[in-house]
Amino acid sequence: MHQRQAVIERIRRVSAGVQRLELAVEPPQRALSGGQFFLARTTATYDPYLREAWLPVALNDKTIVVERPTRYQYLPNQVVDLLGPLGKPFPLRNSARALLLIAYEAAPSIFLLMLQSALARNSAATLVLIGQAQQYPLEALPSALEVIRAEHYETWAERAQHIAWADQIFAVAPPPYDLPAYMRLLEDAQRVRHAVSAELLYGIFQPPMPCGIGACQACLVRLQNGDEVPACTEGMAFDLTRVNLLQSLADSAGA
Amino acid sequence: MLEITTGKMTLRLSPPVMGASGAFGFAGEYGKLIDLSTLGALVTNPISLRARRAATGARVVPLDSGVLIHTGLPNGGIYKMHRQYAAKWRASPIPVIVHLIGTPEDLAECAAFLDQQAEIAAIELGINDALTAREVRAMVARVRAQTQLPLLAKLPLYQAVNLAAAAADGGANALVIAAPPRGTARDPLSGQLVGGRVYGPWLKPLAVRIVGQLAPRLSIPIIGCGGIHHPDDARDFFEAGARAVQLDSVVWARPEMVIAIAKAFSGGELTRAAGALADEWRPLGEPAERRTTLIPAPPPPHVPSPPEI
Repeated sequence: MHQRQAVIERIRRVSAGVQRLELAVEPPQRALSGGQFFLARTTATYDPYLREAWLPVALNDKTIVVERPTRYQYLPNQVVDLLGPLGKPFPLRNSARALLLIAYEAAPSIFLLMLQSALARNSAATLVLIGQAQQYPLEALPSALEVIRAEHYETWAERAQHIAWADQIFAVAPPPYDLPAYMRLLEDAQRVRHAVSAELLYGIFQPPMPCGIGACQACLVRLQNGDEVPACTEGMAFDLTRVNLLQSLADSAGA
Repeated sequence: MLEITTGKMTLRLSPPVMGASGAFGFAGEYGKLIDLSTLGALVTNPISLRARRAATGARVVPLDSGVLIHTGLPNGGIYKMHRQYAAKWRASPIPVIVHLIGTPEDLAECAAFLDQQAEIAAIELGINDALTAREVRAMVARVRAQTQLPLLAKLPLYQAVNLAAAAADGGANALVIAAPPRGTARDPLSGQLVGGRVYGPWLKPLAVRIVGQLAPRLSIPIIGCGGIHHPDDARDFFEAGARAVQLDSVVWARPEMVIAIAKAFSGGELTRAAGALADEWRPLGEPAERRTTLIPAPPPPHVPSPPEI
């Protein structure tokens, strides 16, 4: 992990809501894998106070590309203070030939870097965009990707088949929708596949992360074995069979 | 440098700049990013007698120029935490101070245990906002009776003036002023009100004022804490009467400033020379500008609203 300054070399508006920033960074920060991220500070002041999580979507020779909503304004040559790369790479299995990716009310940006390597080794990938995720511009997605759109989780056609044939499943939902969305997905997987093995079904946890280093304990995820681990260092993807979703949901309901 | 001596040992804070409880982790997590040996000491995240779970629901609420955090002070309990971190504490290049929370009975048991652990340099007690001066005096005295380790008492911001003398009378060797105050704010993600500790640069004038009020009245050292984000902020605490400072959320926002602040007080003067202009007093290569050289951008909305598409 490093703290370095990067320069915004290029800003490209992908759609009305999505822009991509090409960042010139030093080599150590280009050594990252799908699922890892940066905490970025763009202003010299303390407002906003906390760093923002920036998700790389592509790696080039000398730059990394991150995706940001267009309601944030950036300037070419703007200097950005980056902390990272943070988190663990998505545990994509070499044997996974069929990937199922689910974006529930969230942009699928976090999957794009992983998709680069998955598609390069001829894995098949299906992306399901649910709810507001449907607004994500399709032209920003790899052409080899199968995309399914659904207004709600329940209206996702052929949901059972998709879950049944996938070799690995990754789902992303923003808090506070993440716990209920992952619980429902896990229940579906258990019903369709009878047993959900480890390393099959992953949920991505993206709570606010003040430190990114596991020190502040604001992003802990509760596991089945009783441990609580920081999403910023041990995630953001967690094997949903290891996460204590039931207890976490019950606690959230009572919070 | 600040030295705090008790019957058993001396806590030497050199430089008089410490990492505060709740910000730096349990055992030098930030060592991966910054050179912690530049600090005078490191205070662990809060540890209780028995295990505590993380808070449920929203734990972080961004604020204007600050943040509200409600972690629930999760930890595995003193015995498990000691097993888990003793080796790291022993290997720490700087003194490790354990921050304890709990009832007087719990604190006394924890203190008696820590008193036997050579890797612990001191104990810091987190003083609950709801305690009266009498209760604080009794609690500190009870802990004092269990340990010869240097004992720091971290007082709540808004009760510090009323509780300081009681903590000193109870046997505290130094007072930390102050713990981040409690606040309530609406979580933009869930829409719920969340209570927690509030951090940010704006805390500094509040804490400096209280340090200035208490320093002349107390015979034990005061360690200033709250809103320090620059060497000049720390300098203000020293001028108000603090003998050392603790840094907290600056390490999240600008980790590099921790080093700049620590180096600014590594053997140099602690206060600005009389009559010196601000730009004439920049010891040890600290940043020339009050803030960084980042190119300012148009301020984005500070609170992301879910979902972001």
